[in-house]
Amino acid sequence: MKSFIKIITVVSLIATLVSCTGEKRERQIQYMGDTDMYDAVPYEAYSKVKILPNEMEAQRPVAGTVARGKIPYDYPNSEAGYQLAKDSLHSPLQLTKANLDQGKYLFDMYCAICHGTKGDGQGTLVQREKFLGVPNYKDREITEGSIYHVIMYGRNMMGSHASQLEAKERWQVVQYVEHLRNELLK
Amino acid sequence: MKSVLQHTKIQRFILSSLSFILLFTVHLSAQNGDAKKGKGIFNANCAACHKLDKKLIGPALEGISEKRTKEWLHAWIKDNNALRASGDADAIAIYEEFNKMPMTPFPQLSDQDIDDILAYTDNKPEAKPQSGGGASSAAALGIDSLQVVKGKKIFNANCAACHKLDGKLIGPALRNVADRRTADWLKAWIKDNNAFRASGDADAIAVYEENNKMPMTAFPQLSDEDIKAIIAFTSHEDILTAKAPTVAGGGEGNDGIATPKESTSWMTYIVLVVILLLVLWVYLGSKNEFLKLVTTIALLLGAGYAGYAWMMSIGVDQGYKPIQPIAFSHKIHAGDNKIDCQYCHSNAKHSKLSGIPSVNVCMNCHKSISEYNGPVTSEKDKAFYDGEIQKIYKAIGWDSEKLAYIEGYKQKPIQWKRIHNLPDFAYYNHSQHVTVAGLKCQTCHGPVEEMDEVYQYSELTMGWCLDCHKKTDLKLESNEYYTKIHEELSKKYGVEKATVAEMGGRECGKCHY
Repeated sequence: MKSFIKIITVVSLIATLVSCTGEKRERQIQYMGDTDMYDAVPYEAYSKVKILPNEMEAQRPVAGTVARGKIPYDYPNSEAGYQLAKDSLHSPLQLTKANLDQGKYLFDMYCAICHGTKGDGQGTLVQREKFLGVPNYKDREITEGSIYHVIMYGRNMMGSHASQLEAKERWQVVQYVEHLRNELLK
Repeated sequence: MKSVLQHTKIQRFILSSLSFILLFTVHLSAQNGDAKKGKGIFNANCAACHKLDKKLIGPALEGISEKRTKEWLHAWIKDNNALRASGDADAIAIYEEFNKMPMTPFPQLSDQDIDDILAYTDNKPEAKPQSGGGASSAAALGIDSLQVVKGKKIFNANCAACHKLDGKLIGPALRNVADRRTADWLKAWIKDNNAFRASGDADAIAVYEENNKMPMTAFPQLSDEDIKAIIAFTSHEDILTAKAPTVAGGGEGNDGIATPKESTSWMTYIVLVVILLLVLWVYLGSKNEFLKLVTTIALLLGAGYAGYAWMMSIGVDQGYKPIQPIAFSHKIHAGDNKIDCQYCHSNAKHSKLSGIPSVNVCMNCHKSISEYNGPVTSEKDKAFYDGEIQKIYKAIGWDSEKLAYIEGYKQKPIQWKRIHNLPDFAYYNHSQHVTVAGLKCQTCHGPVEEMDEVYQYSELTMGWCLDCHKKTDLKLESNEYYTKIHEELSKKYGVEKATVAEMGGRECGKCHY
């Protein structure tokens, strides 16, 4: 009889655990834990690593180095740099439909939230009054060089979007912004 | 000390009323602009760099025409570079003061536009962003918006120490208090709640009991007009901010959801206890041997099932919802504000990982958004959300007063808790699924845009991966890479469109190597 009561207790405990409807704040246990190739031997991306600066696995490239496939951007982040880029920086890309389509895809993802899908400064955040004063492209004297420069460094309240877009993608966005501006000026 | 304070208050009052009168006269004589139109023009052209009451990229602009002449302002706005080049001392001083950043010239603005803007920046009582938009809707509702504005002032000065509109503080929440009590009751209570209670009013005594028998401060100094204004404010605060209706709605909605959830979990406990008692009765109270046998078999089967289910859940973190260091809400960002997933998780298109955004991405918006103005609940009020935004600033070292990064600040990484984590022996690549296959994030991550707190939506088991690989057709559009191999595959399997599994999405070595 006593063993029955024990069984009942165990079963009801398990049943309670299984039917637990609370929020899962902890991970499930793992089979064999870290001996079973569940956890990586090298540092996991974004993990905390004691010996690295700021204890972060994610580090910037060493100063003075250039990562493979990247082209450094030499225009300084200043008013003079902006003017210089505006006058002298030109797109290495051809004007093609593929570039324009990709530009639209990226523009809608990264820019339209403020600038609006038409570039008229009426994005969702502006309409919801979260972010105000986004200009209409047709009111600004912009060139492909200045658009690229602003994507790189930001301007006024707009921040830099260099970390979200690759160089080629930035030029595709530039192409699409110029297209939108021409549409608006019509 | 007190008398000094008192004195400055009076002085301030006189000054402010004088300046109010002054403003009014300025408005009458010099301006013929339309403040309402001005607000629209201001928001479209100036608000990127200027606020009314605070420095942004450029200076605060409230009451600017007191500081400069109309002609000067017109010249400056139209082409500040030309004005500076003409040698105007004020123009040069401003340029120097604001880091030699020239303001964008606005030659497209007409004289009338600029007058409208100036009418907006000067015309304080109507022009403040909170009341500007509300004035028209207030008029439509037949509510005196000035009274509401006045009520807000009195409320903030006298009541806000112990009361909020939403959520209990020291005293109860006061939004729409007029719906619960009569105006006379409120007047009597506010003026002297002690005397009112002593008079034997049942409601008054109930409120007193409910709030830990803490008597409220009496406010005999408030006039009847003042109290009317306060009540107007508590009832019609929404006309001051256009978003307010959702504020009240959001709060109620969330409370409504929370209650049934709790009752269901109680129900399961009650059912469990009843079953346990029944089983105990079968073994201890009943004499029926057959019943005991059946119960034993049922219990053994149940235990077997429960044990199996528990073992199968090892290493499966479906539903895992850790507490994150910042209460970042995907619902607010991706749901309400419709920011694309890949705006922040920008690595997903090129990389194995979707990428946790670095803080500079947060700052793209939060440089300017330092306060939360959306819907609140009783658990998460405005102060809570504002505090969460402050955490970003603390991590990266942003001075939200001076609007600049603090130099030499030791940045602290935000230690987000990873939710989705495949074991190291399984390879998964985001770009392959997002860019090549063109899947939506929600296919695996579920309705993240509805999640206040993110949890693991899918099982992320091998069976779950393979199920999808078996039934998903290859995406061939605009991908020449697959054209030839797909022809061969469809011939080999005799199908029109090959699935991911037929392409090799079921091979062990694709993911385990």
